[in-house]
Amino acid sequence: MDLVSGRAFSAERRPIRHLDPVLLIAAFGLSIVGILMVYSATHQSLAAQHLDPALYVKKQTTFLVLGAVVVMLAATFDYRFAKVYAGLIYVGMLFLLLAVRTPLGTTVQGSQRWFQLFGFQVTPSEYMKVSLILMLAAFLSELRGQERTLEDVFRATAIAALPMALVFIQPDIGTTMVLAAVLVGVLVVAGARMRHLGILALTAVLLIFGAFQLHIVKDYQIQRLISFADPTADLSASGYNRAQAEIAIGAGGLTGRGYLQGTQTNLDFVPEQHTDFIFTVVGEEFGFVGSMLLLFLFSILIWRAFRIAMLSRDPFGTYVAAGVASMFAIQVFVNIGMTLGIMPITGIPLPFVSYGGSSLLANCACVGMLLNVHMRRFN
Amino acid sequence: MTDGRTGVRLRALAGLVVFMFAALTTRLWFLQVLAYDQNAKSASENAVHLVDIPAPRGRILDDRGNVLVGNRLSLQVRIDRQVIGDATEGVLFRLSELLGVKVKTLVARMDDTRYSSADPVPVAVDVQKRDAYYIMEHPKEFQGVDIAKVPVRTYPEGSLAAHVLGYLSLITPAKLADPSFAGYGQNDLVGQTGVESVYEHDLRGTNGVVKYRVNSAGRNLGEIGQVNPTPGNDLKLTIDANIQRLAEDSLAAGIKYARTVPDSSNPTQNLHATGGAVIVMDPTTGAIEAMANYPTFQPSIFVRSITDAEYQSRFSASTNYPLLNRAIGGQYAPGSTFKPFVALSALYRGFANMSTSYPCPPTYMVPGDPNKQVFSNWTTANLGYMTLAGALVRSCDTIFYPLGYDYWRTYYPPTVPPHEPLEKDLGSDGFGEHTGVDLVGEQPGRIPSPEWKASIHEQFPKSFPEGQWFPGDFVNMSIGQGDTLVTPLQLATAFSGIMNDGNICVPHVGLDVQQPTGKVVRNIRSHCNRTMPYTQAQISYVRDALAGVVSSPSGTAAYAFRGFPFSQVWVAGKTGTAQVFGKQDTSWFAGMAKAQGKEYVVVAVVEQGGHGSTTAAPIVRHVIEGLYGLPFSPFAGSVAD
Repeated sequence: MDLVSGRAFSAERRPIRHLDPVLLIAAFGLSIVGILMVYSATHQSLAAQHLDPALYVKKQTTFLVLGAVVVMLAATFDYRFAKVYAGLIYVGMLFLLLAVRTPLGTTVQGSQRWFQLFGFQVTPSEYMKVSLILMLAAFLSELRGQERTLEDVFRATAIAALPMALVFIQPDIGTTMVLAAVLVGVLVVAGARMRHLGILALTAVLLIFGAFQLHIVKDYQIQRLISFADPTADLSASGYNRAQAEIAIGAGGLTGRGYLQGTQTNLDFVPEQHTDFIFTVVGEEFGFVGSMLLLFLFSILIWRAFRIAMLSRDPFGTYVAAGVASMFAIQVFVNIGMTLGIMPITGIPLPFVSYGGSSLLANCACVGMLLNVHMRRFN
Repeated sequence: MTDGRTGVRLRALAGLVVFMFAALTTRLWFLQVLAYDQNAKSASENAVHLVDIPAPRGRILDDRGNVLVGNRLSLQVRIDRQVIGDATEGVLFRLSELLGVKVKTLVARMDDTRYSSADPVPVAVDVQKRDAYYIMEHPKEFQGVDIAKVPVRTYPEGSLAAHVLGYLSLITPAKLADPSFAGYGQNDLVGQTGVESVYEHDLRGTNGVVKYRVNSAGRNLGEIGQVNPTPGNDLKLTIDANIQRLAEDSLAAGIKYARTVPDSSNPTQNLHATGGAVIVMDPTTGAIEAMANYPTFQPSIFVRSITDAEYQSRFSASTNYPLLNRAIGGQYAPGSTFKPFVALSALYRGFANMSTSYPCPPTYMVPGDPNKQVFSNWTTANLGYMTLAGALVRSCDTIFYPLGYDYWRTYYPPTVPPHEPLEKDLGSDGFGEHTGVDLVGEQPGRIPSPEWKASIHEQFPKSFPEGQWFPGDFVNMSIGQGDTLVTPLQLATAFSGIMNDGNICVPHVGLDVQQPTGKVVRNIRSHCNRTMPYTQAQISYVRDALAGVVSSPSGTAAYAFRGFPFSQVWVAGKTGTAQVFGKQDTSWFAGMAKAQGKEYVVVAVVEQGGHGSTTAAPIVRHVIEGLYGLPFSPFAGSVAD
């Protein structure tokens, strides 16, 4: 205890005294950037349909307010309770992932991912990410010793494999990748040996190869992978998205074309721009400088997550924070990477920035948990 | 705090993240800084060409679902003034040859200032397919000309109910600025009058759009998206096509007949019968089953754009304003058709009772009038003594004049401003204000009052030299003359109150709004909230008296209704002959009919049609005969008020 500061011991222990304002500011800043970008991406096409140009922005703002409540909820109770309930939450989420495959779920663009609820879409796979982080952290923190056996690694993998399989057949390759990254991230921090991880990677490659052979992977997913290899092969089809996204970002130049001034953005050249391709708006309208500022905000977010993993008083907190850091990092990298042409196109939202309530609320839950671990690091 | 080894692993993981961010930064630098020129060029070459897919407008149906207004596809020749450029002269000459339209006409249509210079202007509609193909196959000869396939209005029944239906034309700048027209473009057609205008937002669909990607040379690089159009909803009217046709035919035939009849006040010439209107209304609901106007017009004329000169020659004073919906926008002195309402007020206010006999001399003078102004009856004969009912049957002016004076004596100056009792009672019958019908261009009519007289004199001292209220103003009002004005629809609505035991419904022509599949989206309800202040006894007394107008041998419309089978169809009504300064009299008849479980109010007015019994009464008889499937009798009127 820091007795030099002169504060009373009891006050020191109150969790609220140990909020992480930097983390909160970064998450809030990213959300605001998101709302501005969603407006830029959607206002013209909404107006063209005689709808309220701010329709999506209003919805997203509503979700942000809800998100603030979620942050508070996830930060209030002691995070160690989450360890007790992690299994229950995990099973519940698995059940939802199964239910979305039934006619209860809604099929959009050939993939069945959502529940339609009171006019909003609820995407269980977004919440599954959070649940998996808790479940893995709970499982691995119960193990003793510094090194993990191959059996431990495979048991942890089995925990992740179930939701990954369910998400994969939706089909949603992007979220499957995120779940895999969470698994690897938590395993690394939890002390898995490099050799074991190598075996894991080899198994994964074999499984993916098998999936292609058995035609479990849909045609359009193969198309997207081919277009990743050669974007000019077919301009009108899936390569079109990639080419237009690159043109949009590249046309932003050093300082961008100015807010609401992007022609690629305004004329809807980039599809799904308010969701998966939201970064193209930043790139076109704010240029290299704006893109770097956005990356900077993400770095702070992820840095704080790692820092909290270091500061945590118990392994469970460390693993949760590391899982969240891995999840944010892989999403930022794959999402921005696909708009830049260095990653294949998969439907992954950019955390806090992409339009979408489930994603935002899940990310808020993660921030809440990070705060929780941070606040209770002394008691 | 974590132990050292976990810390190392965390740092390793963080290092991986740093590497990923470095990769993103490098790629961003490459795309945005190094390859900027190439990407900026690609972006500027990228263009989207949006082509609207016009949504079909909803149809307009009669009460049994017959199509009154539909849609068809029309081939339009359009000129893009920015593209035609220097070639204008040659292109127009070739177009003129091909389409058989004068170059002058083409120029006039092309210079239509309502279109923005960036948009193509339609110069010919309903072009032959052959001609359209010829133009498309010879783009060099027809630089800046294109062919568009657009849905246009079609009118299977021709001019039937033209004034009710209205027509479409280019949106006006005022409407374009109106927030309720948000989403409309400068070249959009909107309903200008009639139900096309009132139910615009129901009828209009949502246009679809095809999005093409084009390169800087304008070459189509393929479709990148399409939004399908949503057709507008259909509007079902209370108008019955058969009854409407009956009303229009009766009006036209009655006018034709009137033009063979000498004007009784100047027998050297026939009646001019320049225009008129007929309304058929269900008094129990306010549903208008027919609204006929004369002269009328073909709404299909407005399918093509019409030049100002053509508009002037077709629709101005020389043709007696055929676009005017006289049934709601024509304001006429009501003449004696007003008497039932003055009688009701007089009974209600105690100036008259149901049994007293009153004298009906040829003239009347306001007691003590220093100017000794004489008010005459419509006939010079002394008709002797009669009850108030008799005064309605025989339309005795000199029994109503003293009633007018009674209002002056008792209530002037008014103790309860702003309305003294006669004005108030007539107001509660619906006179002097809009009926609220769902049509455009309704006029409020006028019940003159001392305040109105003073203010109009102040504004127009030359036309209205007198600003003071005199007993004569009431005396004139008592027989529907002086400054009193009503619209035919107001009169029909007020008579529906007499027919309907004092309950008045807001007249309407819309019945419901339906989806193209026939599913009703919205019912247009009848509103019957207005109640006349009179007792049931007073209303039925007047109603019975009005039956005498047609069936009693001394009734003013007895001749027009001679031989009518009153045992089959109950009929009542009131004639009216309104004097108009400098013109022949306005002929009125307001009729009520009841049989076979169906009630109607039928009102006819004919400008310069002479006496009510001469022109309007035979028209109403003809309509009532048609309504109940009775054999038609030839037009024959008499000279009685």
